[in-house]
Amino acid sequence: MTEKKTHRIIVRPTGVELRAPAGASLRDLLFEQGVEFPCGGQGRCRGCRVRVLEGTAEANAAQRERLSPQELEDGWRLACQCSLGDDLVVELRQWDAAILVDDTPFHFEPRPGLGVAVDLGTTTLVAQLVNLSTGKVLAVRTALNAQARYGADIMSRLQFAAAEDGRATLERLIRRQIASLITHLMVSAKVSGDEIRDVVLVGNTVMHHLFCGIDVEPLSHYPFESNEIGLQTFRASELEWNLNKASTVRFLPCLGGFVGSDILAGILATKLAKSLENVGLMDLGTNGEIVVGNQSKLYCASTAAGPAFEGARISMGMRAATGAICQVQVEDERLVCQVLGNVAPQGVCGSGLVDAVAAGLEIEAIQSSGRLGNGAKEWTLAEPVVLTQNDIRELQLAKAAIAAGSRILLERLGTSLQDLKMLYLAGAFGNYIRRSSARRIGLIDLPIDKVTPAGNTALLGAKLALFSLDGEDGSYTELRCRIEHVPLNADQSFQDIFVEELAFPSSTHVRS
Amino acid sequence: MSIFDELQQAIIDGKAPVAKEVTERALGEGVRPAELFPNAIVPAMNEVGRRMRDCEFFIPEVLIAARAARAATDILRPLLVGDEEVRSAGTVVCGTVKGDLHDIGKNIVAMMLESAGFQIVDLGVDVPPEKVVAAVREHGANVVAMSALLTTTMVNMKAVIDALAAAGLRDQVKVMVGGAPVTESWAQSIGADGYGKDASAAVETARSLVAAA
Ligand code: B1M
Repeated sequence: MTEKKTHRIIVRPTGVELRAPAGASLRDLLFEQGVEFPCGGQGRCRGCRVRVLEGTAEANAAQRERLSPQELEDGWRLACQCSLGDDLVVELRQWDAAILVDDTPFHFEPRPGLGVAVDLGTTTLVAQLVNLSTGKVLAVRTALNAQARYGADIMSRLQFAAAEDGRATLERLIRRQIASLITHLMVSAKVSGDEIRDVVLVGNTVMHHLFCGIDVEPLSHYPFESNEIGLQTFRASELEWNLNKASTVRFLPCLGGFVGSDILAGILATKLAKSLENVGLMDLGTNGEIVVGNQSKLYCASTAAGPAFEGARISMGMRAATGAICQVQVEDERLVCQVLGNVAPQGVCGSGLVDAVAAGLEIEAIQSSGRLGNGAKEWTLAEPVVLTQNDIRELQLAKAAIAAGSRILLERLGTSLQDLKMLYLAGAFGNYIRRSSARRIGLIDLPIDKVTPAGNTALLGAKLALFSLDGEDGSYTELRCRIEHVPLNADQSFQDIFVEELAFPSSTHVRS
Repeated sequence: MSIFDELQQAIIDGKAPVAKEVTERALGEGVRPAELFPNAIVPAMNEVGRRMRDCEFFIPEVLIAARAARAATDILRPLLVGDEEVRSAGTVVCGTVKGDLHDIGKNIVAMMLESAGFQIVDLGVDVPPEKVVAAVREHGANVVAMSALLTTTMVNMKAVIDALAAAGLRDQVKVMVGGAPVTESWAQSIGADGYGKDASAAVETARSLVAAA
């Protein structure tokens, strides 16, 4: 076997240097750098375009369709469609004017100095350094949450916090880790801590409490409500962070239950609270947060979906990393699997799982009850990767929790899913999931043109907040009054709806 | 197909109206109510439990099968009162522990126990230890069956055991536990007498606990 050649990629403006084997997909490499793929990396939009400054990257047919001859000439490429065949220097378009990503320009009051926006997730952290006078992102850093070694999900984190010194340990870990992320941002953008004026953090209620040093005991049992979910403000010096003496660190307020400021930020980013018509936002993670509503009233909830969408508790499940089956399609009655990194398949990630089950329903390898056809115990996707009967059951639990949660919220709002004008999907999984498959398995029963993958709305919202701190102090009092948290565990109809939603829709039903 | 087989099939298929019709027909033909339990209802629910354990059945199929079984038992129970021949397999006080509201699993376990001939006192969800103690006293229960689905509420199973001990009832009643995060070793570590991985295992555990008492 010949040794595969490796290539070097330098990413601008972050200055990050990567090495990867020839043939590796730019999508996989850049995803890990925080680049988003709005259409799920299928070459259907232009969201992930990058400019190749040095080196060559072939443009395939999909790119020639989406990019003008002039753009191609100027070096523009769709990252999701490129594989590595040369050393490259690429410039990321996404962060250039990230604040202005949508059609209605975001009017921000330019102010001197720099700011940092942090999305503090249970699993991952993302931080961006932003120039507050131009809106330009100067550097980005991602990391796995260092607390994760003390429990992968929030409940186990809470359990650890309950033990002696547990909470203090978690608090110390996360404060230090974010300080070090910020230091890295400063180093790569060659700026000093003195220039940083504001830091805005967002995260779910447990992350909020653990960072801010608030007792998490009320979040560990019924009714899972804390009284201290408001805006928390710190001086950088209090946290022993090496920033400007006058700089302020804010953790934005939560919305109730486990629904935190990451969802508040998502509401800001998708402008849900300004919509005249009914719209929704969904974050398909372990806690499956959902928001629906309009400019006068919004309802939110978290739905306990479990980790199936992240590939956990699936026998051959894995994260969306090299070797994961990320897409499955049916061609001539046969399964065609796409594997991240173009290597031999090792497992299946969340988007692959949803696709696979949708394909299975299509070719009747899976019945609408969720049962594998012919009473088989497992079903081969691509040797050696199989789905077991139990894997399908896990997906049924997760999708039923989300589907039941959204039905209950929509009922509160007095509407139905079909009447939503648009549903935004937040987060990485929302970016990768194929919308037609989500519909086929009954997770989101909407035509694909009514579902928009919206990327990391938590981070975008945190960044927007950096610019509105002057008028608002970050407590969003008025907005929060319009958002009602609905505790699903108090809802009498939940169990019946949940059980109803466990089955898959029986056949392709086109409703529009 | 015998009338017992017919009833058994109706339950497994989750056909409540058929189960009701077959039960009435059987009684009309002179079958004694007590005979239908060991010959149709119990084996049917055993089969449902097996299918659930082997992932052939999922929650909806189990729930509709249980509904069909109930269509039969609703007719039979009133007829059994005072029947010397039918002895209850035992009385089980069940519930989901304090702080926890998950009850789908607990309900399935309760239904399976009920079809296996146990008397069920279901205390519902978010059950404080005192309530368990009171129910054990009131009903002279043989078994306490507690369910928990959250890592943070599992500890409350221990609280139930402690409360039973404090009330001087620990020797009179067996305690079994279950639910997704609960394991055999956890059950042992808190001093429970039994553990059930799934609903059919729960029935076996309950049977053996009563037999050992
Ligand atoms: C006594 O002897 C025995 C013997 C055997 C026994 C037994 C007793 N009891 C059960 N068994 C056994 O037999 C049964 C049949 O085989 C089995 O029962 P199970 O109960 O295991 O299985 C059931 C048949 C099916 N399984 C279920 O019913 C649970 C499914 C999932 C999706 C789930 C649901 C449906 C719900 N939830 Co919740 N929920 C999740 C679950 C995630 C998942 N994908 O599994 C889980 C359990 N929830 C979780 C969480 C965190 C929460 N939930 C919450 C709420 C809810 C709903 C109300 C929305 C709903 C419950 C509805 C209801 N009436 O029960 C909240 C807490 C509410 C509360 N106070 O309890 C909330 C805190 C989240 C929130 N956002 O508010 C997680 C627990 C994580 C952890 N490490 O502890 C979770 C794993 C999802 C996740 N996010 O990861 C066996 O365990």
